[in-house]
Amino acid sequence: MSLRSQLLKGILDGCILAVIEKEPVYGYELSKKLQEFGLSDVSEGTIYPVLLRLQKNGLIRGEMQPSESGPNRKYYFLTKEGKESLDSIVTEWKQMVGPVNSIFKGRLE
Amino acid sequence: MKAKHLIEENNRKREQLTPENEKYYSDMLIYIRLQLTLSEQQSEEVLMEMLDHLLDGQNEGKTARTIFGDDPKQYADEIIQNLPKEKKREVIPFVSRLVLDLVSWMLMIRGVAILVGSQIKNEAVDSSVYLFSSLLTLSLILGSVAFGVWFIFRTIQRSLFNEHASEKKDMVKVGLFGAISMGLVIAPTMLIPEFGPSFHFSWWASILTGCALWVIVFTLKKLEVGLR
Repeated sequence: MSLRSQLLKGILDGCILAVIEKEPVYGYELSKKLQEFGLSDVSEGTIYPVLLRLQKNGLIRGEMQPSESGPNRKYYFLTKEGKESLDSIVTEWKQMVGPVNSIFKGRLE
Repeated sequence: MKAKHLIEENNRKREQLTPENEKYYSDMLIYIRLQLTLSEQQSEEVLMEMLDHLLDGQNEGKTARTIFGDDPKQYADEIIQNLPKEKKREVIPFVSRLVLDLVSWMLMIRGVAILVGSQIKNEAVDSSVYLFSSLLTLSLILGSVAFGVWFIFRTIQRSLFNEHASEKKDMVKVGLFGAISMGLVIAPTMLIPEFGPSFHFSWWASILTGCALWVIVFTLKKLEVGLR
């Protein structure tokens, strides 16, 4: 596994929770949004095992609803537990990213 | 939406897939559905999501391989790993219904067999039931059915994600298994000694009980579907 995909694996849960927090989405929309944010190398299918696990752990819940284009889609909503989990992921991330950035700063590019 | 409707919708939508995508997706679908211990509702929901995604992607010129990766089996394993198990209160009624259904048919067939046998032989056929012998026979049959289900599922599983799967060979394998297990059930049944408490159970009582049981099982099934 490449370094990038290892890093991504650790933080993908947080990214997905954050996208769902902004507004409820269904699978295809979610993968589109992740790609728009620049995570273009997340293979689209990767999200479904993650969505299942987040559902199983009660961080999100799915609901069948008619989509904008018409047919029913399973939309995901953030639960209270999901919000709490996202809060702690973001805190952890910030505590990590600052120090790492300072360590890397000043290196000759 | 209930699992049954999702399955029907899945069948309809799958027809829109290109042959290549259809093969890739269907192998994953069968592989995931063969996992009997997983929640049927959740399995069907994620299968529908994956199908919708694939259809959307197909419209943009993507293939199943670009969406789900080059290793469909590994991907399906990841899905399976994250699916919740079926709840016990869903499993127990399902299995008991299967068993009772089988028992009802055995009772009806037994009744008919005794009736026909006594007509042919022109004398009364012994219609006593030896409790322990019958229970032993029943468990032998149930055991071979359970093993058969496992064996057939395993054979299907091995034929998936495999370009060189030989359908003929699998058919011969399953056929042979059927013949052998039949023999394995019939032979001991004839050898089992009659033991345990016994009672008289006439042909018409056997048929009546079988029919009544079958009607009960059938009604329960209808009721359960209605309640869902």
